[in-house]
Amino acid sequence: MLLDGPAIIEPAPFDDISYDLCQRRKDVVIMSADLSKYCQIIKVKNELPNQHLDVGMAEQNLISVAAGVAKAGFVPIATTFACYATRRAYDQMMICMGTGPLTSIVIGFTPGIANPARIHHQAAEDLGMIRAIPDTTVIDPMDATEFQQALNVAVDTPGLVYVRGHRGNTPRLLDGASYNFELGKTYQLVKGENIGVIATGHATQWALEASEILTQKGVSHSLLHVPTIKPVNEQEIADFCFAHKSVITVENHQIVTGLGSLVSEIVCDSGGGPKITRIGVPNQWAPGGTLPYIREQLGLDAATLANRIEGAA
Amino acid sequence: MSSLSNSRLNKLELVAAKIRRNVLDICMQRGGYAGQGVALADIAACLYFDEMREDGKGWFYDRFVLSNGHDAIMTYGALAEHGSYDIADLRSYNEDGTKIDQSPIEGQLGFEITAGSLGQGPSQSAGIAWGERMKGNDKRIYCLFSDGELQEGNVWEAAMFAAHQKLSNLVFIIDNNDLQATSRTQDVLGVEPVPEKFDAFGCFARRVNGNSIPDILDAFAEAKTITDRPYVMVCDTKIFEGIDCLKAALPAAHYVAKQQADWEAGLAEINQKIASLEGASDG
Repeated sequence: MLLDGPAIIEPAPFDDISYDLCQRRKDVVIMSADLSKYCQIIKVKNELPNQHLDVGMAEQNLISVAAGVAKAGFVPIATTFACYATRRAYDQMMICMGTGPLTSIVIGFTPGIANPARIHHQAAEDLGMIRAIPDTTVIDPMDATEFQQALNVAVDTPGLVYVRGHRGNTPRLLDGASYNFELGKTYQLVKGENIGVIATGHATQWALEASEILTQKGVSHSLLHVPTIKPVNEQEIADFCFAHKSVITVENHQIVTGLGSLVSEIVCDSGGGPKITRIGVPNQWAPGGTLPYIREQLGLDAATLANRIEGAA
Repeated sequence: MSSLSNSRLNKLELVAAKIRRNVLDICMQRGGYAGQGVALADIAACLYFDEMREDGKGWFYDRFVLSNGHDAIMTYGALAEHGSYDIADLRSYNEDGTKIDQSPIEGQLGFEITAGSLGQGPSQSAGIAWGERMKGNDKRIYCLFSDGELQEGNVWEAAMFAAHQKLSNLVFIIDNNDLQATSRTQDVLGVEPVPEKFDAFGCFARRVNGNSIPDILDAFAEAKTITDRPYVMVCDTKIFEGIDCLKAALPAAHYVAKQQADWEAGLAEINQKIASLEGASDG
């Protein structure tokens, strides 16, 4: 499942993903609210102009026009930063896209702390907001391989599909030849005992870094990657949790309403279960800056994360 | 306007009167947005029974998008006359457990979008218009929204977008009744001059008497001659226009409760009007 050796770095994953998708699926329209360049949508815009639609710097318009484009028989993929899609156009996502059966995809780029501009450009609450909408699909892919495969599934998934995007230098960690993304499925990347780590999206990259340190230190642990936040396979998550003495969730999101909350809800509904420690962005404003700096400030860098996981057990 | 035949006008006046009767019939059960439904009957008659082309399968080839959910009563009244809804079913409007939502959800017959959250219809209709044009279809898209919705920024985002994309297959129909949820629109937050604002956004806008069938038909005809931008009909209407006794009694009724109106008097007046129009058409 995981590629061997050092990670391949993709400098602009969505440029190729969107172009390949649009060439295969002529009903797909990549939409933007004046952020194509910053979501790395270059080739579609230049070479497939009929499949690119910019609505201007107006996110409510982006989502509601996209919902109309879906009603004309196309599959819209509305792209912007996660903060704008969710916070500025939440009602349009819920009402215009979320109440009908037509496939309407929204990609939220630079999610969580993956944006250098603090507070206004960061979106550490998007997963919680969207997973609260009934009948939606929410996917937080971990790398370039999964991002591509998730979108291939999304274009054939009814209703509102929210996908967290990757831009800029993005690792390719999963082997596209052997990995197969399925909606709702969880993937155990590391098998061990006692400590069960559950992660999603960017944070699965961080958890893999911490896992390497823990392995070097001889600390046995497991790592479960949960790319689909909704609909989740509750049984797979419950089984993983109950198979470990201690569970630690790691997410590029507030620890309120995100993956940690989701896992806690599942274990709570089961009754009993291990202690769950939620690691992610605390319910406070995150700092700005480079991602390594922000991670370090929040105790999410590999070394600190490894220590926190070991300490929580 | 000279091309408007008497038979065409008589037919639409009769349909409009029957739509008004249907609106009263539905709203008198448990209350509803009767004033808007009655006032919009002339627009509905022209739209559903003259302007929109049929698909040969009992439905419409062109597409209508209702933005303000509470004006669903207009669509119910019209589609009952069209035969798409049974008036007996529509009488469950506003009843617990009914499928006849007061403000319908996407997918219900006659309702392309979920329309209760105001200001979201224009953009969605613009998206539909863009998509239909991209497919090479000549479908025309009509979107009805209210003057109160003009206070929502999303409407103006839609106007900018539709004009920029030169969506000449799109017609915005604004129910400009100077009334919103709590008061007169001009007192809450003035929106006039509405046509000039849409013109400034790059649309082709015209003020229309929303209770004049000839004026409405003339605007629909003019809209087809505008080939480089969306067309905006700013339709001035008055609550309960077309039923004098209710218009006099409830001139500013955003919502009419069951006990608030003298429904029987209103029905008697509109039934008399229908009889008179039927007599005229027979003659």
